[in-house]
Amino acid sequence: MFDTVLLFRDALYGALVIGITCSVLGVYVVLRRIVFVGAALAQLSSAGIALSLFLGGYGLTAWIGGYPTVVSLVVTLLGAMFFGLGGGRRLISSEASIGVTYAVAAAVGILLVAKAAHGEAHDIFLQGNILGITRRDTLVLLGVSVPVLLVHLVFYKEFLFVSFDRETARTLGYRVDLWNLLLYFTLGVVIASAMQFAGVLLVFNFLVLPAVTGLLLARTMGGTITWAVISALVAVAVGFSLSVPFDLPSAPAMIAVSGVIAMIAWLVRRARE
Amino acid sequence: MKPLVTFDHATLGYGRRVVLADLTFAIHEGDFLGLVGPNGSGKTTVLRALLGTHPPLSGTVTQADGLRFGYVPQRDQVDYDYPLTALDVVLMGRYDRIGLGRRPAPHDKARAMTALEQVGIPDLAEQHLKNLSGGQRQRTLIARAMVGEPNVLVLDEPTNGMDLVATTQILGLVRDLHERSGITVLMVSHALNEVANYVERIALVMNEAFRIGTVAEIMNETVLSEMYGIPVEVSAFEGHRVVIARRRRSV
Repeated sequence: MFDTVLLFRDALYGALVIGITCSVLGVYVVLRRIVFVGAALAQLSSAGIALSLFLGGYGLTAWIGGYPTVVSLVVTLLGAMFFGLGGGRRLISSEASIGVTYAVAAAVGILLVAKAAHGEAHDIFLQGNILGITRRDTLVLLGVSVPVLLVHLVFYKEFLFVSFDRETARTLGYRVDLWNLLLYFTLGVVIASAMQFAGVLLVFNFLVLPAVTGLLLARTMGGTITWAVISALVAVAVGFSLSVPFDLPSAPAMIAVSGVIAMIAWLVRRARE
Repeated sequence: MKPLVTFDHATLGYGRRVVLADLTFAIHEGDFLGLVGPNGSGKTTVLRALLGTHPPLSGTVTQADGLRFGYVPQRDQVDYDYPLTALDVVLMGRYDRIGLGRRPAPHDKARAMTALEQVGIPDLAEQHLKNLSGGQRQRTLIARAMVGEPNVLVLDEPTNGMDLVATTQILGLVRDLHERSGITVLMVSHALNEVANYVERIALVMNEAFRIGTVAEIMNETVLSEMYGIPVEVSAFEGHRVVIARRRRSV
């Protein structure tokens, strides 16, 4: 069984990078109660990939078809900026704008793929293909994740303060909108880079479940982030290892393991209290 | 006394909507001022202009050089689900002094402990925020405001949703801080009866009107009846003043 898993070790490494990065950012996503912003950005990212595939089928824009990640990144970052600057909350509620973005991005993605040249063959691209991650892909993921994690390490207290109490941060001279924008920007970059390999569901999972596990088990921010990362690593390792020999789809297997870990964390918390 | 914040014919509002027009007043060093008015009257707008986070539509709001605010937000603006201890929260009050990308040093933690002692809860430093009572949370937020060594302590609805005991304790604590250190205090509240017995001056915001004066000048039946638009009565007993609406006699 172990030998079979090792055949896909590059995919495993790639999934571990995605799990670690998403779980760290996920702590902010869950604490700030913007879980569905994560889902909407992931959906926007997939719509970006679909747009690239669609435009790739036409003469003048055919070259765009060769850069799905770039198009996805641009679309996701535009969405991240929109939500980072308040998501149009002066006109409609934040929840409503997240819902509209999610639904429209999902529908547009499906429509564009349906009309793209060889669209059906690209469905897997939208849903992610963990097993297809190569060593080069892992290096690309690392190239994105390491700077993002460094930004979060260096500016930990700034992100924490503007997330916890933006009004007080503002009175102490913090440019709250800029810090929010930077936080959403890092989120957008991570989601766009992870999306094409992991798909909407797995990215959403890693943004939410490990952070929930961390919050259930830890009493400090550092502890929460540590537990979130550990639970993501365990979910990837166990889910991946079970999916390969048993011929199960990898992403749902990892999500199922994440769910079991979160449930155990919940029981531990209940027992403690 | 030296003016710390000066409103000079300042008109406050959002976009084209004017909330309060032509405000001229100053907050002086050592003031203990209550900014009082019902919800939606424009207290928060005055507060934001004073803190410098919302510029006036016209006129000026000037802050003295080197002015530093210690801000205590409304309790419901803070999310108590964050995995933070009281000490973690108090330390946030020094984040801007610590500098970008740096971590709190031992002397920052020592100052945070001193601030917790000032508000009477040093033993709760390692307690999770979630496990604190309403009054203890408010003390934690006051300690966070004090740890930055401010010139002006600003409290936004500090007793909102608190019972009588906690309200009395928090208002007493704020008055003690003012008397002990001479710090300038601005307390924003919708409860005139609560605030009037603690502060030295009152700024009343109501029905797009603004009036500022000493407690004796504002807690006056003529002024209050005019501001509220209904006949009111100011009663006094054992040095406490209470405002009540005058009952209409049945015919």
